[in-house]
Amino acid sequence: MKAPLVKPADISKPSKRLAQIRAEDLPPLPPPYEDFNQKTLTELKEEKIANVEAFLDGTLAIGIPKPKTKEEEEKYVQAFLSGLRKLFEKENNWAFLQPLLLSMEHCAKCQTCSEACPTFEMSGRQEIYRPNFRSEVLRRIYRKYVKPFGKISAKLAGDIDLNWTAIARLAELAYRCTLCRRCASVCPIGVDNALITHEIRKLFSQEMGIAPKEIHEKGSVQQLRVGSTTGMNPNAARDSIEFIQEEMEEITGYKVEIPWDREGAEVLLLHNAGEVLSWPENVGAFAIVFQAAGVSWTLSSEELGYDVVNYGLWYDDVQMARVAVKHAEIARRLKVKKIVIGECGHAHKALTVIADRVLTGDLNIPRESALVLLDEIVRSGRLNLDPSRNDFPVTLHDPCNIVRAMGIVEPQRRILRKIAPKFREMTPHGVDNYCCGGGSGFAIMSGHNFSEWRTLISSRKKFLQILGAFKDEPLEVPKYVCAPCSNCKGSIRDLLEYYRARERSHLYYGGLVELIVNAMTGMKKPIVKFDEA
Amino acid sequence: MEELNWWEKEKKSSLYNEIKYMVPEILLLRSLKEENPRLWRLSFPFHFGLYLLIGTLALLVLGAFSMVLEVSIAPGKGAFASLLYYLTILCGFLGLILGTGGTAALLWRRLKDPELANYSAFSDYFNLVFFLIFWVAGLLAWLFQDHAFDGARAYIYSLLTLGGLAGGVGEGHTFLGALSIVLSSLIIAYVPLTHMSHMFMKYFLYHSVRWEDTPNLKGGKMEAAILQNLGFKPTWASPHIGADGKKTWGEIATSGPKEKK
Repeated sequence: MKAPLVKPADISKPSKRLAQIRAEDLPPLPPPYEDFNQKTLTELKEEKIANVEAFLDGTLAIGIPKPKTKEEEEKYVQAFLSGLRKLFEKENNWAFLQPLLLSMEHCAKCQTCSEACPTFEMSGRQEIYRPNFRSEVLRRIYRKYVKPFGKISAKLAGDIDLNWTAIARLAELAYRCTLCRRCASVCPIGVDNALITHEIRKLFSQEMGIAPKEIHEKGSVQQLRVGSTTGMNPNAARDSIEFIQEEMEEITGYKVEIPWDREGAEVLLLHNAGEVLSWPENVGAFAIVFQAAGVSWTLSSEELGYDVVNYGLWYDDVQMARVAVKHAEIARRLKVKKIVIGECGHAHKALTVIADRVLTGDLNIPRESALVLLDEIVRSGRLNLDPSRNDFPVTLHDPCNIVRAMGIVEPQRRILRKIAPKFREMTPHGVDNYCCGGGSGFAIMSGHNFSEWRTLISSRKKFLQILGAFKDEPLEVPKYVCAPCSNCKGSIRDLLEYYRARERSHLYYGGLVELIVNAMTGMKKPIVKFDEA
Repeated sequence: MEELNWWEKEKKSSLYNEIKYMVPEILLLRSLKEENPRLWRLSFPFHFGLYLLIGTLALLVLGAFSMVLEVSIAPGKGAFASLLYYLTILCGFLGLILGTGGTAALLWRRLKDPELANYSAFSDYFNLVFFLIFWVAGLLAWLFQDHAFDGARAYIYSLLTLGGLAGGVGEGHTFLGALSIVLSSLIIAYVPLTHMSHMFMKYFLYHSVRWEDTPNLKGGKMEAAILQNLGFKPTWASPHIGADGKKTWGEIATSGPKEKK
């Protein structure tokens, strides 16, 4: 049964819920996962949502507290309008004003974007998840309440009422899109609905102080305070990485020295600190490859120097700029020739593409993807590689920020073609890839039942793609999903756990650099372990 | 950025590749055909009809110029005149047929398809109805009164000569001909005021946004523009921003957030 048609104007009409996720609407999973086809979202617990607005779709990303009075509601409405005006002022939004204006004014409402959106498709075509739904809501509010002759244009171009209900729903709805920008890449006109979503998030954060706590308080604020979104301070980071160094030596028999704060090194390698905690073999593998290849490199033990994440990219330009400036300052102090960004997709985009419009003068230190450097190392022949060590089926997940946003498509493939004889592509792949479902902060957001929503809906397409890539392989054969991005690995980990895919299909996941080390001759034991991954 | 030390490499851009991409994109709506073929079947006739009509207008202007130079545009008046005569008819006829059919189909689809209707307002229907009236008026004028576009050419001749009359044509105004001229003038004035200006704005959306990847190099124009922008004084109100209308973006970006929990 098809989900009911919700109109953009319905967003301001009070109701218990604007959309209902139903198991029967979700595209079915193939064997041996049919039993999950009956699964739907666990209901939010009444006692836990008593004080927050939960009238969008049965899950919560932010959980905005309910205003206590009508006056408070009105205050929020006025703050929203104030923020909306600022989005269209050069002084307040110079970086994104031009694409925002173009995307606001030139949509032909052809809905081509909808077919490209995995969240819309995998939700059973829930109208509120259509890329153009939230954009149309914002366009109507903007035309009616900000532009001249608003009441007349509302009658002509689409009406909507602005009230607390609309605002609270729009804030939540801005966190039902992974900002993968697949919609933007297929728009015949060039309209970018993901950018509009990004701007809505900015409005709420920069004007109203509303953002999911995982990406603001525990995210960028914590990172700027203690040095990492994980809460790791510099001492803990050094201890953890020294432990990794010992572990790697024990596993591989390869004595690796991890250099700290080496002034004048060519490369400052910036990792996502999540790797240190959740995927230490990734950090160790980089050290082995760089040392074996004779790269002049260093890690930084300064605050933020061991955590390249930049959550501001998803919701707040100021937080984004602050973190990017800190990263650049560390590189400047260490006098490195370039910053190399480890396997972290959003950090690639934040520090390379977006920070390119922030960093000037001696802070504008060249930034490069680790995938490019790894490709050069593998092709140069500096490592002794034996591809038969990776003699298992491998597929590649393309992180949206590295591939679609930055156009880095071939380096990782060249590596895999050289070291993984059973490498096969997903369909589609490259710049047409599907998001892991954890983009734009979703991989680290898990309040209430949000991680379940992610696994059931925004990651569902990726799961189907992974199953499709290995469909000709026997279930009992171990298979490796190579995801060179920490956030993607996080959501793929949750996906495989939720669907028990390790037990049922022998599906494992990991990064790219681990596969390189796994192929290196002279390593005592493989670092890709299918029984423990 | 796929290359090692990409900032040391010369930035390659190719006007030829840009044209090679944009010509089929604009003329044939290539990406719509690939991503939304169902809609392309309706949208392509509309757009291509419009291009053909613009082409017809160019042919009419050329014909009118020829008339100014005392070359009459009619069959049997030489190869150039005959070619122009028949090409104008072919181009105009195809344009009117495709445009009328495409607009009617787009209107029908927008009314009947809930996915489109749900996002359509009065102005969306008005735009299509306006175009439909224009196309139908042009088609009827061609069908009943101006089969060879002689009247249209005479009108342009009259514009070029500030009111001159082409011998033998254009002396008697027809209602449908006059209506077509009025409607086409109104459409030319109206389109830039609507989202239909994507016909022209597509250039900026592709060239200045989608494909814009000019790197910010030390001492370059981009850096100068960024430095200027970093001097703006934002007024965002959230406490963590710490904006007071006096601090610049540059100062705020190099300071910590106010709320440090």
